[in-house]
Amino acid sequence: MKIVAVTACPSGVAHTYLAAESLEVAAKKLGVEIHVETQGSIGIENELSSNVIKTADAVILTNNIGIKNEERFQGKPVVRVSAGDCIKKSEVILKKLKEKLSR
Amino acid sequence: MGNLIEKSLIELDIEATTKEEVILQLSKKINETGRLANFDAYLKSVIDREELTSTGIGFGIAIPHGKSDAVKESAVAFGKLKKGMNWEAIDDEDVTMVFLLAVPEGEGNEHLKILSKLSRKLIHDDFRKTLTEGSKEVITSLLEETLKIEN
Repeated sequence: MKIVAVTACPSGVAHTYLAAESLEVAAKKLGVEIHVETQGSIGIENELSSNVIKTADAVILTNNIGIKNEERFQGKPVVRVSAGDCIKKSEVILKKLKEKLSR
Repeated sequence: MGNLIEKSLIELDIEATTKEEVILQLSKKINETGRLANFDAYLKSVIDREELTSTGIGFGIAIPHGKSDAVKESAVAFGKLKKGMNWEAIDDEDVTMVFLLAVPEGEGNEHLKILSKLSRKLIHDDFRKTLTEGSKEVITSLLEETLKIEN
């Protein structure tokens, strides 16, 4: 399974990165390939390439504030979760996604 | 540009009963290092942010933060609470460790990058374990290393 994700939060100082790291740690644990773009107050980092997006099975977007360039994900299954849930429940989120996609 | 944290910004025995008290105590520490232009305005920015949504990120850690023009120079204060307290954290666990961040409005990227690095570290068990169990010396050097300006 290959996942792309974009994380962001209102102040863009902490939760954006906590959520990104948490998803990456959980993905590694579950053997899932993940690419996480952060949209924090530093700006966009680890920007997802169109090729990576094209080959991804699903997209995770945080829903605390608007995500920039969301049109990139048109036609892809998109899951929207809060940055808080990404931080604490990233493993559950990825497991559920895995189940859904394998159906 | 100086370092984000210094020894005087680390307090391992905080006694408090509310999160406002913790924020006040750590804010005072930051103020004592001369990094704030306006103490009251900074404090208000942190409390306002906290009221928006809790900064209890889980794992017993909270990271209250204020981004405000009341801040002259970025800082991180770290406090360990003698007794865990309710912080309305996302996992409902009591908070025992608090990072208070102070960031100037219109801050350049350097400090924000370091704060993003700190945030990422907090997700890792071994990092949190050292903060929980380490001596003051160990914690200080870990935080100094993590928050170092690299150039």
